Amino acid sequence: MGKTIIPFGPQHPVLPEPLQLKLVMRDEIVVEAIPAIGYVHRGLEKLAEQKDFMKNIYLVERVCGICSNMHALTYCMAIEEIMSIEIPDRARFLRVIWAELHRIHSHLLWLGLLADSFGFESLFMQIWRSREKIMDIMEATAGHRIFISTNTIGGTHKDLSPEQQTEVLKTVQLVYDDMKAVEKVIYNDYTVAHRLTDVGILPTEIAYALGTVGPMARASGIVFDHRTQGYAAYGDLEFEPVVETAGDSHARTKVRLREVYQSIELIREAIGKLPEGDIFTPFKGNPNGEALVRLEQPRGEVLYYVRANGTKLLDRVRLRTPTFANLPSLLHMLPGSSLADVPVLILTIDPCISCTER
Amino acid sequence: MFDMIGNILKNLVSKPATRAYPFKTREMNENVRGYISGIDPEACIYCGICDKKCPSDAIKVDKPNRTWTIENYRCIVCGECVIVCPKQCIYMEKTHLTSSTQKDIIVCKGSPKPPKEAANA
Amino acid sequence: MLSNLTEISVDMILNQVHRKKDEGYRFVSMTTVENEDLTIDLYYHFDRDYEISNLKLTVNKEFELPSISKIYLAAVFVENEIQELFGVKFDGKAINYGGHFILSDDDLENPMCRNQIVIEQLEDK
Repeated sequence: MGKTIIPFGPQHPVLPEPLQLKLVMRDEIVVEAIPAIGYVHRGLEKLAEQKDFMKNIYLVERVCGICSNMHALTYCMAIEEIMSIEIPDRARFLRVIWAELHRIHSHLLWLGLLADSFGFESLFMQIWRSREKIMDIMEATAGHRIFISTNTIGGTHKDLSPEQQTEVLKTVQLVYDDMKAVEKVIYNDYTVAHRLTDVGILPTEIAYALGTVGPMARASGIVFDHRTQGYAAYGDLEFEPVVETAGDSHARTKVRLREVYQSIELIREAIGKLPEGDIFTPFKGNPNGEALVRLEQPRGEVLYYVRANGTKLLDRVRLRTPTFANLPSLLHMLPGSSLADVPVLILTIDPCISCTER
Repeated sequence: MFDMIGNILKNLVSKPATRAYPFKTREMNENVRGYISGIDPEACIYCGICDKKCPSDAIKVDKPNRTWTIENYRCIVCGECVIVCPKQCIYMEKTHLTSSTQKDIIVCKGSPKPPKEAANA
Repeated sequence: MLSNLTEISVDMILNQVHRKKDEGYRFVSMTTVENEDLTIDLYYHFDRDYEISNLKLTVNKEFELPSISKIYLAAVFVENEIQELFGVKFDGKAINYGGHFILSDDDLENPMCRNQIVIEQLEDK
């Protein structure tokens, strides 16, 4: 039997991201697959060396549209560590509230795309309808549906008044009710279970050796959630990392669905414990030094390395996003699978190629 | 599956869920950042702080000629200029810019500065 | 300053990385910075139980470094990217993209370094 090579190209009806895979096939089974990226490279790391360090917050926020608030948060935390700025307590809790809202919206987007990739269009529409409620509350509190621009060096720009806090709690309750209906389909439906169970199994030792992060690692049994380290206000909130042990695509779906519930609980707890005070500490001067900060984005662990030399322009801003760390797991999961499962497997690593290529 | 039947019947008898756009538009919230439509030329002191803080270099302030210019299609609607203005005289509209066939620039010109009073002898 | 930093030289790379693998560390990433005197600082980041540990190396641009992709397969993408953006060469990579990982064919070479671009005036009439 001869081998055929199929380019699962950057443009494809089912693929949501511009990633190219050259699949070497024998009949319907994939023998080998090598990913290729480079279609949306914008050179943002070089651009960040040519702008003022205060203007870089808006640049870094626009690296990705789905995890945009957390990129700005990590950058602000890195500069605050270099300049040794203490932020007030109210600002720490406000940062957590907006970060968890962003996590809910990212996981709902992913759940909808997964349902679309194996043809379940009505579940896709249903989930994205509840996602609209989160976008509306972000517009009502911060001004824009995606790039909310609330973080700044020294705290936050915007505050939440008591009426806005009740609005947030009402919206989050509506999303909770919607998710209870969706959960029955994902756990009990026969077609969904057939397409997802035992597809793309990643055992624990291989997941650790390949350096996977985020919900992919937690679905294979590795307990690793950076929020337990207590940055921002997570040290004052109580939660446990969500872990499953099966290692297949169904386990990854269950992890992300349970994280939506966990985020809703965190938002309720943070609003209940919100202290009074300022939201901003003024500062003077330019940064000088280097810092390395890690954070838990919706897709995993992000790493920022910032080096400054005492002037307004920074020496180096380096970001390593979680999809970049999850790409090697494709090299293990794809060989041996059938062609119809390839879109589902690519989606379970939660690709965000504009983050990976900056 | 039986809750789907309840959903179907409810959808058949209720009003349409969509709005009759463009005859009726959505009411925007107070905080929405739409686009910058200009300044109050008499209140502005032409200090140039908004020029220095703009991340995408969309605002240009000319102090001797008392002119303030913004390129709307370069602006990323971040809201920094509205926050840092010492006289709070920049206006942010709540609707969004529609597409157009040429990139417009808004220019605001203030009245010339009154001459300094002569020092009394 | 970064925490848990060890400075090493080029011939100690493979030994130190093997030791990290035996002690159970997970590979996180590599970072490159160009200094003012045109040498390149290379950092390796490893993690175990939320504690990060770093190795630092300083080389000139024309050096050839050994690749660690035989020990950690996850390093193969980062090494290809650093070779394209900065010009530091790694030999023995498990997958070699040959200069087409992130940049396209009509981009400048090694764009992250401080390049000097000379503009010549052609005698056109």
